[in-house]
Amino acid sequence: MLQLKNLDASYGFLQILWGVSLFVDEGESVGLVGPNGAGKTTTLRTIAGLLTPTGGEVSFKGQSMNHVPAYQTTRKGISYISEDLNLFVDMSVRENLLMGAYIVRDREKQLETLDFVYQLFPRLKERESQLAGTMSGGERKMLAIARGMMSSPQLLLVDEPSLGLAPHLVTDVFNSLQKLQEAGVTILLVEQRVNATLEITDRAYVLEHGRIAMEGPSSELVQDEHVKQAYLGI
Amino acid sequence: MKEKTSRSIWEKITDNSAASVVIISTVVLALVTGLAAGPSQVINSIVTGGMWALLAVGLALVFGVMNVPHFAHGESFMVGAYVAYFVFSPIHQSLQESPNALLAAIAPFLAMLVAGVAGLILGVILERLLFYPLRVRTKSGWVMNAFLLTVGISFIMTNGTTLTLGPNFRGIPRYWDVEPLEFLGVRVAVDRVVAFFVAIASIVALWFFLRRTRTGRAIRAVSQDETGAQMMGINLNFIYPLTFALATALAAISGASLLFMFQAYPTVGLKPLYFAWYVVMMAGLGNVVGAIVGGFIVAVLQTATQQFVGIAWEDVIPTAVMIIVLLVVPSGIFGSEVKGVQEQ
Repeated sequence: MLQLKNLDASYGFLQILWGVSLFVDEGESVGLVGPNGAGKTTTLRTIAGLLTPTGGEVSFKGQSMNHVPAYQTTRKGISYISEDLNLFVDMSVRENLLMGAYIVRDREKQLETLDFVYQLFPRLKERESQLAGTMSGGERKMLAIARGMMSSPQLLLVDEPSLGLAPHLVTDVFNSLQKLQEAGVTILLVEQRVNATLEITDRAYVLEHGRIAMEGPSSELVQDEHVKQAYLGI
Repeated sequence: MKEKTSRSIWEKITDNSAASVVIISTVVLALVTGLAAGPSQVINSIVTGGMWALLAVGLALVFGVMNVPHFAHGESFMVGAYVAYFVFSPIHQSLQESPNALLAAIAPFLAMLVAGVAGLILGVILERLLFYPLRVRTKSGWVMNAFLLTVGISFIMTNGTTLTLGPNFRGIPRYWDVEPLEFLGVRVAVDRVVAFFVAIASIVALWFFLRRTRTGRAIRAVSQDETGAQMMGINLNFIYPLTFALATALAAISGASLLFMFQAYPTVGLKPLYFAWYVVMMAGLGNVVGAIVGGFIVAVLQTATQQFVGIAWEDVIPTAVMIIVLLVVPSGIFGSEVKGVQEQ
């Protein structure tokens, strides 16, 4: 469904990604792991259209996405849940969720999806009218994920959902991602928590210094000596 | 478990001690002015307040959504005044020859409507022609560049108007040739009353648009998080021209409805611009609700100054108060929720 071929991306003169190639098939859950500064977020931002690649190609469902701006990638079925969440802090939880369904013009459909995400995250229903800016870190994260679901995307890009969360909240967030996956959503997950990521994904890529260092089924990567040493601390 | 859920505007104001102090002292000042000078001064403040609010809301919107410190807002006011003059005068002339009560009653509204539409068009043109290319080129130093751009627009528009229409004053004594209304024993010209209600109606319409419609929510989303808004599928190249057009239209409507007070001439927008800026700086840059309340605060200050100090001090006192307010609460009385545009 999603394919990156020899993707280069830079911020100004600073090149971050060097020929990154990866693919995600429909219904799959794929992890992208690696150390800080490896270019994981840059990869997602490029797919989401927030950054234009300087070389190579991003294609989604066979269509080139290189010059598609961010608002169009959303309309094509890619939803990006960013690391800094980008919530609308002065809007209520409900308003945030409905903004997530901005591209859905059918009111019935919007409310249907709203019900669906409220079932996934009952906490958000309780906080329906609270302003997003006044919520705790874990709740914000849930809200961002729920909002990302509201456009009924075919592909969900999730950036560091565990960042800055207390351990029991991390479990919550990972559980909810797993629920999404079971509901048939294709997920590309970027994480620093390698162990947890390899547990819930089917396949994974290891990104180091802007290049794909390793790839394979998650169950095999867990056993790999390099991964064990560098990321799992075993 | 009782949780504090959404905050109403009233709670936001009462939560904020600076805001309560200023609002209470404004009300007291208004009452004192009223007692000293009679209710006509209070009504005066209310009418002017509505107008400053309408202008300031446009400034707050443009700053909040686009991060443009708009110093050509007065020229939108000027365009509104001219358009209203050129629509209204011919109708007025023809009415002298063949009186028609209905046309006489609606002609001023027609003039304001045309001015508003002209404002919308002007806003779209300015955004597409100037801000869009600037944004595509670079976002670094955006606020400064945008500021200089608006100063340039202001310069070209005032001088362009002088060049084409001349420096002459074009005004009308009044829109409606009817007896003033009696209100609390005060006679208030119909034009003033209408100007006030036009301001309030425009603000309410804008409020409704921003809160209740899909596109309005998108505008608010952009002002709160530009990247987030793009991720939701909101096209910034649609929201920016729309926002700029709305702000320009509000200023133009304000210029049109005040044509009886401010005659149309090339630099007529200067004073309204200054007052609108007092309002937004005092209320908090980019804070639309604050701008509405702030409009009335500045108007009361202005009227009180005229009453107790003298009309020559009209600019001095509000500026001094603004400086004091900013020293105490740097982000303005109602605070500013605007984030810098260069957040990435």
